[in-house]
Amino acid sequence: MNGPVTRVELLRRAALGGVAISVPGLLAACGGSDDGEGAAGTTTSSGQQQLAKTLMFSNWTLYIDIDPKTKKPGTLQQFQQKTGTTVRYFEDINDNATYFGKIQRPLSQGQSIDRDIIVLTDNSRFPGLLIDKGWAEKLDKSAIPNISNLQASLQHPSFDPNRDYSLPWQSGMTGIASNLKLTGTPVTTMDDLLENPKYKGKVTLLTEMADTMSLVMLANGDDPTNVTDASFDKAYDRIKAAVDSGQVRQFTGNDYTGPLSRGDLACCMSWSGDVVQLTQDNPNLKWNLPETGGDIWTDNMLIPKGGDAYTASAFMNFVYDPKIAAQIAAYVTYVSPVKGAREEAMKIDKKVAANTLIFPDDETLSKVKIFDSKALTNQDYLERWQTVIGA
Amino acid sequence: MGRRRGSTPYLLLGPGLAWLAAFFLVPLVLLAYQSLQSGSFDFGYQFTWEFSNYWDAITNYKTQLIRSFVYAGLATLLALLISYPLVYWIAFRGGRWKNLFLLAIIAPFFVTYLIRTLAWQNILADQGMVVGILRDLHILAPDGRLLATSTAVVAGITYNFLPFMALPLYVALEQIDPRLLEAAQDLYASRLRVFLRVTLPLSLPGVFAGTLLTFIPAAGDFINAQLLGTPNQHMIGNVIQSKFLELIDYPAAAALSFVLMAFILVGVAAYSRALGTERLTG
Amino acid sequence: MSVAAQRLPVAHRRTGVWAFVKRHFLTAYAIGAFVYLLLPIAVVIAFSFNDPKGRFNYVWQGFTLDNWIHWNAVPGLQDAVVLSLEIALLSSLIATALGTLIALALVRYNFRGRGTTNLWIFLPMSTPEIVLGASLLALFLNLHFATGFATILIAHIMFNISFVVVTVKARLVGFDVHLEEAAMDLGADPWTTFRKVTLPLIAPGILAGGLLAFALSVDDFVITYFNSGSEVTFPLFVWGAARVGAPPQVNVIGTAIFVIALAAMAANILIQARRSKHAKGMA
Repeated sequence: MNGPVTRVELLRRAALGGVAISVPGLLAACGGSDDGEGAAGTTTSSGQQQLAKTLMFSNWTLYIDIDPKTKKPGTLQQFQQKTGTTVRYFEDINDNATYFGKIQRPLSQGQSIDRDIIVLTDNSRFPGLLIDKGWAEKLDKSAIPNISNLQASLQHPSFDPNRDYSLPWQSGMTGIASNLKLTGTPVTTMDDLLENPKYKGKVTLLTEMADTMSLVMLANGDDPTNVTDASFDKAYDRIKAAVDSGQVRQFTGNDYTGPLSRGDLACCMSWSGDVVQLTQDNPNLKWNLPETGGDIWTDNMLIPKGGDAYTASAFMNFVYDPKIAAQIAAYVTYVSPVKGAREEAMKIDKKVAANTLIFPDDETLSKVKIFDSKALTNQDYLERWQTVIGA
Repeated sequence: MGRRRGSTPYLLLGPGLAWLAAFFLVPLVLLAYQSLQSGSFDFGYQFTWEFSNYWDAITNYKTQLIRSFVYAGLATLLALLISYPLVYWIAFRGGRWKNLFLLAIIAPFFVTYLIRTLAWQNILADQGMVVGILRDLHILAPDGRLLATSTAVVAGITYNFLPFMALPLYVALEQIDPRLLEAAQDLYASRLRVFLRVTLPLSLPGVFAGTLLTFIPAAGDFINAQLLGTPNQHMIGNVIQSKFLELIDYPAAAALSFVLMAFILVGVAAYSRALGTERLTG
Repeated sequence: MSVAAQRLPVAHRRTGVWAFVKRHFLTAYAIGAFVYLLLPIAVVIAFSFNDPKGRFNYVWQGFTLDNWIHWNAVPGLQDAVVLSLEIALLSSLIATALGTLIALALVRYNFRGRGTTNLWIFLPMSTPEIVLGASLLALFLNLHFATGFATILIAHIMFNISFVVVTVKARLVGFDVHLEEAAMDLGADPWTTFRKVTLPLIAPGILAGGLLAFALSVDDFVITYFNSGSEVTFPLFVWGAARVGAPPQVNVIGTAIFVIALAAMAANILIQARRSKHAKGMA
């Protein structure tokens, strides 16, 4: 240390946020050296890890709480106040395959993609692929004591059995969003979505094979948790017919949100939390699960190779605090993976705690299925899927 | 015009041509190499003289190939029809403000390509004014739409490449000596005949240049189809883009690229043969 | 006897609405065509002043200057714009230098392989951008060369060279060689002649080539898309933002670029007009 921390400095830091000064923050003040932007954290002479000055976080859209006063993500500002690390937030993930295609080029050459945290969905093959290819950094679990707050059901996924490389960000469900101005009543069946001529050309499906296939298979009476060639073919033919007839306008990732708000779509497949946030743009939107059921998935935070594992882990620890988790979930209306978030939510707002989109009850959970992970790596399925979505 | 022979021209050419050789020719050769590989992203690629990639490319994507040429052709034709009268007016009636009017034609070009196309997305929106008017006029069915149709895609391509057609046309028309037109009229030719027999033939080099400059990039475009269309409007550019960047299927993508280039070259050769030997490069 | 004095044998009288329409049809058409061309621009400019409540900028909700004042409030936008400008400046400088040299060689010298060189210069302009971008990416991947700033720069220089050559050539072709000969007759050596006579006269052509290269570089999307690695230029930023709802600030930057380019071109035209008037006055 360069010298004792003066009272003035302490007061100044306390004034910044009124939140307790964290040890890494103090060390950063004492250490004195100025890291470049996005530089990895360094270890001080005493051997303790230092947080980097910047954390680069890539995420999907509509996935973090926005402070209405500052119009910026509240959680990230709080993290900065607490630790001194600025989070640079990029909403550049629209679709798992596209994003992975983009990052695999530098990663395959041993280059860093300039990100510390990225978020990939477990109903695609990409979290597993990233880990298998050695392109993910291990979490620094010593920096994540809050990992014990992870829900039991999410602790041992097949692609990362010990949660060495990933932690869930949010979970969500896939269902149908309707623009009531164009549909009158909410659309509740996949039959309506795929075959009702009233909605011809005003329907979109999702590019994610697991999402679209699950919902169509359920509508066909098949089981998406155990995909067979027969059930895949049946769903495939039905989807293809809808595309050929012009019923389906597009296959989208996050980007259904624009056309939906704009009124170009009558109804579309959509993710559970988005619509609530979109009603700011268009109050006529409503979301529900199809009568025959939907699917449930989890988005996972991963650290790509070259990212700062320590700082990323510290951030993950921060959002696994039940108070913060409740804050995020309450805004994005997605399912929180953190135990205790619900209790915290009840203290903020009873309505939030009772919202089955965020804290699904058993009845809701019984209607959503997890897509068969074996089918995610089936080359034949993947190729045929690419042709039908028009690649 | 040979003043000083010897090494001077080659020294002048050297740096620039070297750059092009390194970053244009060599990559194309590499692409050709890639097009003859087989394998997949997950398990690696090997060079196996896989000529079947080309055959597969043509058979699997002939719809998109044909569609690309149809769209590009339509867009070029439309661009010609739209810009010819406009450019004629500027060249012959523009007077002192010719250059400023020309500027107005090129002006859209100064707004980023993507932003221009997004503006069309806005203008042609289902709930927007243009579609509303067209529905009222019964040009569109009551639940008809403009966005996410071939019409929108072709319209977008036409708009985006119009300056490429207009500029060469203008250069050609502007160079026509007005005394020739006067002479023709003195010889009792009607306005229409003057146009057909004098103006049009003299402007052909401009038509030729403009057509090529519009058609070639339009054929490989994918942005308009992506933003204004559906998978049913996807052009070969969309397929190539997806195969390179999303599916990571390099051999197929490379083969498709060469197929596209080959078709364009064949088309251009046939076109120049039909129009006579016009030298673009001068 | 000119046409105006004679009455051409026509079947109908040249009066009335129909004649008026015919005479001014072309003008009316021109006006309509200009509206068509400039409508999207108007939309872009208008919506840069929009004040959307949500995240989508499609419906007019209110006028505000906020987007212009806080143009860099959107994360990543400023970096993208700065990067685009840096790359455009560097690539246009280098491409102009290389391209001018080539143009000089092509126009002033009759060497073996001139025709072929002409062809090679023309080829990049006639190759679809997607092929240019993809093949460059293939090169970089094979050389294990990291994609990023350097690769974007290399790509931009590559496609700009051809455009500079064509532009400068057009200017060079009209250049009067006798001026140089006159200078040499008056005792100037070749280098001084080049510096004091040739260069100033072809400067407008070089400038035009440079400006064209700059504009093409700022606007390039496809080739950059393939070769940018994790760098984000302005067009790439727009592409990403469009998927999730482009904020009004995108329109602000688009409008700004448009206005600056327009002003530069208009100024160039006015200067040329004044110069030719001046020259006419001197003759």
